[in-house]
Amino acid sequence: MLQRRLICSRISNTVVQSNPAPSQSKWSVNQVTKSNFSVALEQISTCISDSDFIAVSLKNTGVYSAPWQRILPIDTAHTAYLKAKYTAERFQVLQFAVCPFSTNGSKLIVHPYNFHLFPRDELKIGMPSYNFSCQSSYLTSMAQEGFDFNACIYDGISYLSKSQESAAIDRIVNAAPISCTVQTPSGYTVADSVFAERIKSRVKNWITACKDTNKKPEDTLISSLRKIVSGDELYGCRPCLSIDVCSESQVRLVLKTLKDFVDVIPLLTPAKEGTIRPVRVVLSSSEEDRILLQELENDRKEHNKCLRGFRGVIDLVSDSQKPVVAHNSLNDFTFIHSKFLAPLPSTLDEFRRSLGLVFPNVLDVNHLMKEISPLTKLNNLPTSISYLKQRFFAPMDIEIRNQAEVYEVKTLGHDVVKISQLFAKLWSILKIAPKTPEAVAGHFPDAIECYTNSFNPFFTSSHGPANEDVSVWTDNARKISIKNLIFLWGFKGVTSAGKLKNLLYGSHEVFHNEFDVKMVDRSCAVIAFGNPGFSEVLMQLMDSGGICTNTLQEMLADGLRAAGYETYQKVCELGLWEADLASSMEKALEESESFSDAQSKERSRICPNNGEVINLDEL
Amino acid sequence: MKRLCKLKSTRQLSHAPTTVLTTRRRTLSSSSSSSFDIKNVTKSNFESVLKDLRGLLRDADFVAVDLEMTGVTSAPWRESFEFDRYDIRYLKVKDSAEKFAVVQFGVCPFRWDSHKQSFIAHPHNFYIFPRQEIPGSNQCCEFLCQTTSLDFLAKYQFDFNLCIREGISYLSRSQEEEALERISSIYMDESSDSVFGLREDADFPLVRMADVLFAERMKNTIREWRDSLLSKGSSSSEIKQTSTGSSQRFQMVFFKTRPGLALSGFTSRQLRVIKAVTKKHFKDLAYIRVAGEATSPRQLIVYTDSNDDRDLLMKEVKDGLRKEAEIKVRSAVGFRHVIDLLSSERKLIVGHNCFLDMAHIYSKFIGPLPSTAEDYVSSFQKFFPSIIDTKILLNANGVFRQRLDKNSTSLSKAFVSICPQIALGVKTSGLADRPCVEVEVQVDEKRSSNWNSGAKHEAGYDAFMTGCIFAQACNHLGIDFTLHVLAGDLAKESKLQNYINRLYLSWISGDVIDLSTGICTTDSSASSNLKSRYQELSFPSIVLLWGFPAKLKAREIRACIAQAFGPNSVSTVFHLDESAVFIQFSKPELVSKFMEIKETLSRNNDPISVLHPLSNILNGEYTHAATYDVYRQICSSSISKILFADQAEAVIIKHKTVLSRGKQGNQVFDKENEVSALDEKVDDPMSPPYGYSETEKSAESFYLDEILASK
Repeated sequence: MLQRRLICSRISNTVVQSNPAPSQSKWSVNQVTKSNFSVALEQISTCISDSDFIAVSLKNTGVYSAPWQRILPIDTAHTAYLKAKYTAERFQVLQFAVCPFSTNGSKLIVHPYNFHLFPRDELKIGMPSYNFSCQSSYLTSMAQEGFDFNACIYDGISYLSKSQESAAIDRIVNAAPISCTVQTPSGYTVADSVFAERIKSRVKNWITACKDTNKKPEDTLISSLRKIVSGDELYGCRPCLSIDVCSESQVRLVLKTLKDFVDVIPLLTPAKEGTIRPVRVVLSSSEEDRILLQELENDRKEHNKCLRGFRGVIDLVSDSQKPVVAHNSLNDFTFIHSKFLAPLPSTLDEFRRSLGLVFPNVLDVNHLMKEISPLTKLNNLPTSISYLKQRFFAPMDIEIRNQAEVYEVKTLGHDVVKISQLFAKLWSILKIAPKTPEAVAGHFPDAIECYTNSFNPFFTSSHGPANEDVSVWTDNARKISIKNLIFLWGFKGVTSAGKLKNLLYGSHEVFHNEFDVKMVDRSCAVIAFGNPGFSEVLMQLMDSGGICTNTLQEMLADGLRAAGYETYQKVCELGLWEADLASSMEKALEESESFSDAQSKERSRICPNNGEVINLDEL
Repeated sequence: MKRLCKLKSTRQLSHAPTTVLTTRRRTLSSSSSSSFDIKNVTKSNFESVLKDLRGLLRDADFVAVDLEMTGVTSAPWRESFEFDRYDIRYLKVKDSAEKFAVVQFGVCPFRWDSHKQSFIAHPHNFYIFPRQEIPGSNQCCEFLCQTTSLDFLAKYQFDFNLCIREGISYLSRSQEEEALERISSIYMDESSDSVFGLREDADFPLVRMADVLFAERMKNTIREWRDSLLSKGSSSSEIKQTSTGSSQRFQMVFFKTRPGLALSGFTSRQLRVIKAVTKKHFKDLAYIRVAGEATSPRQLIVYTDSNDDRDLLMKEVKDGLRKEAEIKVRSAVGFRHVIDLLSSERKLIVGHNCFLDMAHIYSKFIGPLPSTAEDYVSSFQKFFPSIIDTKILLNANGVFRQRLDKNSTSLSKAFVSICPQIALGVKTSGLADRPCVEVEVQVDEKRSSNWNSGAKHEAGYDAFMTGCIFAQACNHLGIDFTLHVLAGDLAKESKLQNYINRLYLSWISGDVIDLSTGICTTDSSASSNLKSRYQELSFPSIVLLWGFPAKLKAREIRACIAQAFGPNSVSTVFHLDESAVFIQFSKPELVSKFMEIKETLSRNNDPISVLHPLSNILNGEYTHAATYDVYRQICSSSISKILFADQAEAVIIKHKTVLSRGKQGNQVFDKENEVSALDEKVDDPMSPPYGYSETEKSAESFYLDEILASK
């Protein structure tokens, strides 16, 4: 029985293997599962430090559950992020391909690794993921590509995100301190340097106070007060100071500042998801003492390595601070953030900030492609590559520097090689060849600088403030302000935008001039007005009635509804992910009505009390 | 000897857990047993198996079934608790059946052979997978996987590759109806030709140079062909001669007695250009798309004599496409044919602890699950009139319970202790001096009287074990099988009437639901130790509390409340998960009192309220309290957050009205109709659990069409 089961999966592998696409068969990608993970981790560590860039590519169990939940041209960066967040929170990464690469003239040296992941609950604590969604069409297409689900589920590498790791340690050994590698923060603000200075002087004072041998015996009350004031406490038998921080970036700053002091050791207390605990500083009395403490810390680190599993690779990539190249960066990095770092924050800006601390330079080949062909829609890798091949002469020899074992399934994880290839071509076409590795590590040529860390789904060439304009036409660069967009739903029996447009045309003064209709999904359409004031006119008409033709009146009587862009934003913010956009919009409208009711009530209730609030802590 | 070699190779190949290996070894040691593979059914052999199964099911005396799913609970708090009322138990089962997929379906018909005095079993193991066969349908093609469940399946060497690549797809009855309706509405609507490529769309804009050149060339080629056709000469050969390159691309064919050109090897953009050219320049040629032999459609240019002929042709094409679409829907029914057979034969169905299995069967193959247990049960009985749960049978009978050590009624353990002669190949005296029932297994042509495939937790084998237990239990009850073969209905046997159509709603509490009446009773024998602890369960005096400070333990909550209401006010505090508790008060009045205090404490922040004993648990701004009915609403939501507090927030964000009333704390006194009105609101959004979703491609083209239309 068992044999039969194993054989059948093997057979299916060989079937797939026998007919890979001819162009791909020459690339051998190192396939990594639980059994060869520790070897691969060491290999990739050296590869990463030898390479200039790192390409990543993810294979997920699904993307969206309803057509309108895809990222559409009408989405602003904000709503697109919310959609990507919803996707990343539900679906699962099964394949994570990492490819450190460098270019040298027309030579591209790649080290592709394809990691099979499975969120196995190794510690039996419901982590990393209790459950996940699958879209059967995605699984089917993965199966067609030759993905081995048995290998993935039986032998996939598990992982814990950073926040899960601290929670897990918290749960296993209660409040055992862990230390963390010090990373150079990407940029200082004034506030940061002030903070760092303050920490420095505080630690200095504390050390001198501790070393001050001619202390007089103090009254217990005074010493306890001193403890409260200075945050002084004991770690074992050594003096210890805790420094309050309010963000991950401050933790890093503290760690960096503490490097200047020879006889202190920073300790990071594991925190629950989302919260941050103070950093503790332990004063060691002698050199041997310090080494001993450091060794204890290293032991813990070793233990944690087992816990974090695949995240070790993410940490390596992050520690190298090398530019990371992706194809669909918003999607891939929301996944990376939610699975390997921490739960996704609620806004794009926070996400950018939080991700920037770990991956300071993210490049999206899709955005670079836009530079070459701003109008053409080139969303998938093969078409982009062939587009470049047709138009530019940029020969690129690929050299694969892994000794991947021969018997492995070879078709998986090729996308990451293609991303490297595409990027290298773009790199040479855009004439921004990396002169020296140092140049790459720290600073980009200006031409490329503006492409980093743009997580806008539809690239706009400025990095500046969030652009509130969206496009309605997929093949047209024309942008339209979201103020001129109106969502319409509740039209019965109308299936196409053309029909709806015909119906609306001439039915009201706003529908005489320039306007355009697009279907967002089957149930809901979006109307774009050329004339700025018309959207308000239409909304007024919907609310209070007005002069319009019979057709429009009929439609209104049949339940035609309309709402502005803010309602659509609200749908995404509240997470009203219904199958039809129409029902989501309806819910969002209900919500805002009841919310405004509740708010007015709340206000009247709370205001009188405001002055009487007593804070017990102040007593 | 041969078998020994086989075993060796198995061992080398597998990373299997040792338990499976020991089963194998055991199989080997009992010389008389033989093992051949269970009948595995996938896409490739489904049709032929279905044909055979039809006869087997018709002749069967009963049919045992078992399912393997991708998960059981979508969140830790969705697990079954002692504090769950029976309606909540149903909601939890419903949630599970709606969210998870069935990946393996075991069907094992049992037939009594009166000559041999033994049963003949035909175990079948169907791999099923909810593949989306019809594009653009509302079919739910998204499902949840519970990590631990997949891990469990992996432990028993489940073949996920086979399931995903070769699994049989299915459509439920309601999905099929819906799909057929949609087809008829599309094809009834004259104007919506665009849907299947007959649209008379506006001129395709020839902006690119390549397009213009290509269009010109196509125009010439098509004209040549048409002219040669009209001149009635040696028409077909000419094209081949003129352009050798295009000989494979154009092929002379006859379509419905009309001459035509079949197009192949063009890109979709080129086809669109050809279509535009045909439309613009040749009034007597029609560009049509028909379904080809493979999945891809065929494009044709057909010559028509007149306008009438052209319309006729269009109608014929349309009808053809409609028929094609309907056939596609019918073939997408797939595995449901087996369920339809089970239902139409009205055989006795046997399962082991099968309430969840049956809910899966209903939601996957019949239609969306009704919102209440009563509706579900009555609807279910129409399709499956008689069901027996071996778990009920084993627990209700003293002799079996003695035999099963320590109340363990898990399937494999029960199988070993009830049917040792099949499980272990050991000849024993049987139960209470009755001879054991012989079960002979037949797979294709192979037969064995003590078959052991050794694969636990494989649906087909589990179904077989369930059937064996049932047969043995019937034997013990003194049922004469031979008599029933003549009568033909085992389900009417009087000795079974106490057990038939009774299923465990939840094994933990021992709640048993009667499918024929919908009445829920408690089986005191099930897990008596638990019951005695929670005997005084009274739902009106339960308060649900969530969002309190995370470190708060049940003991501390209890102490706080005891301080406020007196030492005997709380009988139990029970953690749903780390973020929520049930508080069972001794009297229902205390609930309203508690809610009132919660309300005042959350409103006022004055020193007195801060010093209130309850402020410890209630002062967090995220702390919420609600009555048991709110728990029901939260459970009935289709959302599943991992933490209960998050879930409650998410559900209540969607229904602020509920919250505002919940905050008032007067829900206990709400009238019945008000509660039900709220229920409707809550039930409403969950009817489509996951929305429809089109494949990327079709959605893309949909969008493209829109762009073209707007130009």
